[in-house]
Amino acid sequence: MQVRIGIFICDCGKSLSNIDFTKVRERAEKFQDVVYVDLSSSLCLEEGQKNMLSAIREPDINRVVIAGCSSELKENVFGKALEELGLNYNFLSLANIREQCSWTHEGDVTDKALELIRMAANKARFLQPVEKNYIPVNKEVLVVGGGFSGMKSALELSGLGLRTTLLEAVLGGKLGEFESFYGIEATPEEMLSSMRKAVAGDENIKVLTSAEVTKVEGQAGDFTVSIGRGEEKVCQSFGAIIFATGYMTEILPQDFQLKPDVNIISQRKLVEMLQAPGEFERRPRTIGFVLDVSNENSRLPVLSTLNNALAVKKRLGSEVYVFCKSLKVDSEGVEKLYREARERGVVFLKFEERPRISKEDGRVRVEARDLLLGEEVTLLCDFLVAEEKVLPPEGTEALSSMLNIGTDSGGFYQDENVHLYPVASERKGIFFVGGCKGDSDFTRISMDISSAAMSIYKLLCPGKVMVEVEKVKVESERCRACLTCVRVCPHGAIQMVRVDTEKEVAKIYDLACDGCGICAAICPAKAIRFEGYADEQILAEVEAIGESL
Amino acid sequence: MERSSLVIGGGVAGMAAALMLADGGCQVYLVEREPSIGGWAASFCCKATEVCTKCSVCLVHQKLNEVASHPRISILTNSTVTGITGKIGNFRAEVFQKRRYVSPERCITCGVCAEVCPTEPKAMYLPFPEASPYSYVVDETRCLRLKGESCNLCQERCPTNAIDFRGRSKRQELSVSTIIVATGFEVFDAREIGSLGYRRYPNVLTGLDLERIFNREGSLKLPSNEKEPQKIAFIQCVGSRDENHCYCSQACCKYAMRFARLIKYQNPNTEVSIFYIDLQTAGKGFAEFYEECKESIRFIRGVPVEILEVHSGELEVKFENILEGKVNRETFDLVVLSVGMVPRKDSWDLARILGINLGEYGFFSIQPLDSTETNVEGVFLAGTCQGAKDIPDSIAHGMAAAKRATEVLARCK
Repeated sequence: MQVRIGIFICDCGKSLSNIDFTKVRERAEKFQDVVYVDLSSSLCLEEGQKNMLSAIREPDINRVVIAGCSSELKENVFGKALEELGLNYNFLSLANIREQCSWTHEGDVTDKALELIRMAANKARFLQPVEKNYIPVNKEVLVVGGGFSGMKSALELSGLGLRTTLLEAVLGGKLGEFESFYGIEATPEEMLSSMRKAVAGDENIKVLTSAEVTKVEGQAGDFTVSIGRGEEKVCQSFGAIIFATGYMTEILPQDFQLKPDVNIISQRKLVEMLQAPGEFERRPRTIGFVLDVSNENSRLPVLSTLNNALAVKKRLGSEVYVFCKSLKVDSEGVEKLYREARERGVVFLKFEERPRISKEDGRVRVEARDLLLGEEVTLLCDFLVAEEKVLPPEGTEALSSMLNIGTDSGGFYQDENVHLYPVASERKGIFFVGGCKGDSDFTRISMDISSAAMSIYKLLCPGKVMVEVEKVKVESERCRACLTCVRVCPHGAIQMVRVDTEKEVAKIYDLACDGCGICAAICPAKAIRFEGYADEQILAEVEAIGESL
Repeated sequence: MERSSLVIGGGVAGMAAALMLADGGCQVYLVEREPSIGGWAASFCCKATEVCTKCSVCLVHQKLNEVASHPRISILTNSTVTGITGKIGNFRAEVFQKRRYVSPERCITCGVCAEVCPTEPKAMYLPFPEASPYSYVVDETRCLRLKGESCNLCQERCPTNAIDFRGRSKRQELSVSTIIVATGFEVFDAREIGSLGYRRYPNVLTGLDLERIFNREGSLKLPSNEKEPQKIAFIQCVGSRDENHCYCSQACCKYAMRFARLIKYQNPNTEVSIFYIDLQTAGKGFAEFYEECKESIRFIRGVPVEILEVHSGELEVKFENILEGKVNRETFDLVVLSVGMVPRKDSWDLARILGINLGEYGFFSIQPLDSTETNVEGVFLAGTCQGAKDIPDSIAHGMAAAKRATEVLARCK
């Protein structure tokens, strides 16, 4: 097809006075393949577009260059206008002669405007059509993990009418490490059991216990997941996956110079003791908590310490001391909880250097320099509840490399990327919620779960997703199957497919592709074409710079 | 029944909620009191140094575009909700839309109106560079025409006839199934703590001032003499974690550290100190960021109570040196107060209209175990109108509210 370019220039209500539009128009008419140039004052308004559309119809223009202001919004408007005429929306090239030209410079900028327009026109000569199409998606969702987060995820998805398979060794998780939530009547155990009941009674939720994910293949909308259950192995297709695999905690001996024992205990041990007071030989008179020794970035130990310290006060009436460095109060209601604890007599001691801990006559001796008192404080306590380091659960590393999804410096899922907040991962259709993301408190976890469920609803509910077909495409005859693109794609959007018995080539999945262009840049065989940023298009733009006007 | 929702407030949480609802197939009316959606965060600045410091402000600008071009979102700016009747699944909302004078459909933001406007500062202005609707607005308090004079320059010169001073305010009624309240917060007025000298001494600024200065200028100069500051102090928890505000504002430690890094990056000779009660370093990647900050920024435990201007432009900060157990005085040439978030003073009006409860500090109150649910069925909360949050949490909360509303809509079908 012969390329016939129409250039539509807008002088923004004649306000761009440092551009000589008569000259621009004259010169632009002489650019290669240009058949029509029009000057308008209000291209973004309805009347301006009407004029443009009728002009396009007349001289049989098949590529459109718009020279005007910068606006992502307007690109959409013009693309739609082209589609109305039966032209592909990608046959559009923009030159920004307002913000990037007229407004940025003093004095006459006619030449720069012309250069920008010629770049856009030159690129337009190489534009290829991009089609849009619908891809069907599977509406079943897989939730991996049966703790609070996993069960809540399944229930939330069910509330939106999505069917879920919930995978877990046992339903439960870490909620039991709290004796109670201050100000909430139901105990964590009661909350868990009502959730278990709700999950069991929900016809949208299928529970598979003692099962684990062994392999995930495919793409958003159509993941093929291998599930191992003892000897048994099944393959099933899901549209999206939520991982709620939780976290582990461990008292790290090196942080306390002493091993956990009968006096140095975990939060869970404390809760067990509170629930069965018979365990105590005598009522403990003094209980200490230590924070900020193992974790600098976790809110969870603060939550369990405050809640459990208050429970100790209420149940046992012991003296309670909390040693900490900087109390993490940046969660809903925690400052209030902190205040409540102080009012009920919990003493907070703030240190700069970590406390020294030793054993003395069957009790635990904690020595620290308290900043507010400005003095060394020595405390002998019957029990010391040690801070537990929050760690990623076992298998995280294996799963992350299988999914090709990164981990942060603590080994938790999903390296930090603001554009993926809060729960989405680099790979479309895969979400992480709860403790396996590293940091957590219950308000945030609940919020994250709801937003993950909503994102999945948005993705899967219509049953099909519109994509731009082969906007980034592998030219299979040039592909050498070197796997470079498969390795670098951050979105797991590229897989090898067999074309015949001899040959495998890379294939890019449109739905999973984010259009970042890394594969197109890195392919050593130049087999990947990214429409809009293809080599010949960029070269055409570059060649237009500096040529005499 | 039509699947439609009302979102009150076009800040980051309201936009996130509106987008999610609309993407889920629901018609959304987004009501915003200001002339542009975007909320506070749209006036904030990118805090990247040589690397992105993940302040999330860019997410707001990205969402502005998405909301404005979404076919299922109707944006009503300059508008307030004045009445609600009905119940879940069938609310009727009365919305009052103040006249705009400049038609957003016709404005091409060429800026001619502001150029010719004879007042100083100009009565015609663009709320901020990415404003949405992308249109100039009239400052009614400055416009000569609206003060009764005969000036007509902007109307005469506007190339697209976008300006019309005869425009009328209007009332309209919307029929919606659910309501999401996302009215946001107010910034704590630092003048309330008189001893800190805000607005009395030119070189005492707030975090919000800093956001706007960086957004506008890209770097920091001393307000008193336009020179580069040499010694800066940040004071945390101004208007948070005190008797009247028994909560952590959740964003201030992070923005203070990001600003401190940005200032050090732009001018490595500047000395930066941060005074704090407890540093909030939780959150993905933030502990590492704090470690980096510690190399070049001084962190001092304890919050100063008094600032005095000893000489012109020299601020003496009085603070308790906890490590040595005595009162210290140190001079700085610039002090930044990390002001927290407080509930909007007009929350009470909306609470009354909607019949929802206010909590003890004046934020809207929630039901136990769900931070988006109010005491009125079908009315949900999103973002900082429920309690202080940073940008990512506001987005997540907005999405969570949209999820609750979508459940209701699914039941109404």
